[in-house]
Amino acid sequence: MSISRSMKMAVKSILSNKARTVLTMLGIIIGIAAVMTIVSVVQGTNRRSMEMYESQGTNKIDVYAYQWNGKDISQKLYDYCLSLNELVAGVTPNMGYWGAGGSVKYMAADAANNPDYGAPQVALGSDQYSLCNNFTIAEGRDLSYLDVKMYNQVIVLGAAVKDYLFQYQNPIGQRVTLGANTFEVIGVYKAKDAGFSQGWSLDNIAVVPYTLNRMLNNSTMIESFVVKAKSKAATTEAITRLTGFLSGEIDPNMGYFNVYSQNEWMDENASATKMYSYVGGGVAGISLLVGGIGIMNIMLVTVKERTREIGIRRAIGGSRRTILVQFLLEAAVVCGVGGLFGLALGLVGTLVAGKLMLEMVLMPGVAMSAAAFAFSVALGLVFGIYPAVKAAWLQPVEALRSE
Amino acid sequence: MLIELANVYKIYNEEMENEVRALNGVSLKIDRGEFVGIIGASGSGKSTLMNILGCLDLPTYGEYYLNGRDVSELSDRKLSHVRSREVGFIFQGFNLVEALSALENVELPLVYQGVSSWRRREMAGDALERVGLLERARHKPSEMSGGQQQRVAIARAISTNPPIIMADEPTGALDTKTGKVVLEILSSIHRDGATVLLITHNNDIAAQTERLVRISDGVIIEDRDNRGAAP
Repeated sequence: MSISRSMKMAVKSILSNKARTVLTMLGIIIGIAAVMTIVSVVQGTNRRSMEMYESQGTNKIDVYAYQWNGKDISQKLYDYCLSLNELVAGVTPNMGYWGAGGSVKYMAADAANNPDYGAPQVALGSDQYSLCNNFTIAEGRDLSYLDVKMYNQVIVLGAAVKDYLFQYQNPIGQRVTLGANTFEVIGVYKAKDAGFSQGWSLDNIAVVPYTLNRMLNNSTMIESFVVKAKSKAATTEAITRLTGFLSGEIDPNMGYFNVYSQNEWMDENASATKMYSYVGGGVAGISLLVGGIGIMNIMLVTVKERTREIGIRRAIGGSRRTILVQFLLEAAVVCGVGGLFGLALGLVGTLVAGKLMLEMVLMPGVAMSAAAFAFSVALGLVFGIYPAVKAAWLQPVEALRSE
Repeated sequence: MLIELANVYKIYNEEMENEVRALNGVSLKIDRGEFVGIIGASGSGKSTLMNILGCLDLPTYGEYYLNGRDVSELSDRKLSHVRSREVGFIFQGFNLVEALSALENVELPLVYQGVSSWRRREMAGDALERVGLLERARHKPSEMSGGQQQRVAIARAISTNPPIIMADEPTGALDTKTGKVVLEILSSIHRDGATVLLITHNNDIAAQTERLVRISDGVIIEDRDNRGAAP
């Protein structure tokens, strides 16, 4: 007897007991939906972190060095960073503005009052600031080498600052103030994100030439640099060299330094994500297993109830094999249909969880969905084997005699 | 010779205290086209005999030739094949599959033979027509009377046109009148050329067959031509 005929037979007998079939499926439905939702959310969280990380720039090394004996190695460190030119694509100082009235103002508007993100971060950087921090220019122009050399009082605004201060006005050529100093807006960075999380944004930034450090911060010391390495391997190598250089320059009793790349953080994040996927998937997998045992239980009851029917089928020409195939297929079809319902529920669960937890449109992956469906069918086959074998090995005469 | 049993034993719990000899050395020959009544009290071994004749069960000892082939040592698959092609069963309790309609029940043996679906429908329809139940084809067994259910069971038995029809107490669950209808159908099947074995404990019913085999305590105690006996 062909598989398609057995299939029709299986579907027919499943449909003859709908309520029980649905209850049987429940375990599979919930199991599959749970696996899909958990894995999707973990992957979504990871994707979000990766996006955030990548928009800040990959292969980026933060260098921080400070000494409290007043010794200034700023220029030496800057020169050393630049000397790593075979490893490094760009170097910029990355100082904060600590001066009075630490915010950007335009006429009566103060960027510190931005209700979404609060006060902007004002950075003192070089003409390579945008390269190192993965910014691109949307309007106007970037800081130039001359701006830095000539102590030009110019400023490039992040998208969030520009939007708050100028809205739909053209900001280029307008004058804004930082404390008591006036700056000309020469450019605006392209927005990186529409708000990664509440109260904070990479676009809430403004950059001025680092050479204005003395004027703005009343200091010549630059403690913080960002180095953009050319590759992942170059990042590792540059970190080693910078650490070596700074160890030689800074007496640990008289100062402190830190060389750090988010590459390591990203690797850790990726392996943590993998682990969460395994743990979450494992927990949901256990619920699937329980669902599978439920299937076996119901199939055993079904075989018991239909003993007489099995006897009849054997008497009129059904062989052991056809009975075995029939009951196996019944289990597989129940689990497969349960798996499909589970996929639907998992899709809904993923969308809802993505909206509530991550505020994004999260969809389960196609490969994962296909794997979940295949797994549920396999579950039916595995847990259907015992009941099906039991059915197939019933003695026809005894099966016919049962009530 | 269609059926030939040679010294067949069916022994349960052999050589134990509760040993039961359901068949204790039975030899029997049945020719093509016979209408045989096998009669015996309950526990006489007549159902065991039918199970063996119908290839539902295998003898403990002895040989069984069906159509010249020794079936006492066939594999399950081959036995299933024999049941599917050679034998049609009719049971006392009808034994229809409750979840299926009359037509689907009649189609079932054809499904196991691998007959295509339109041909199946046609053959099952013919069989239902022969027992006069074509108009009830879509009904479930639970929606039919006992007599009608037994007629569906007969249609199922004859749907594959097997050479042998075995009926085990086919009227046992029916009243006299519907029982008579069922017996008439069996007679007509016999007239159409099939070999019919009718197992019963009822002398009046056995009297309507052409040959009477009486069994008691697992052995045949009488085997005679019944033609010309009182109807």
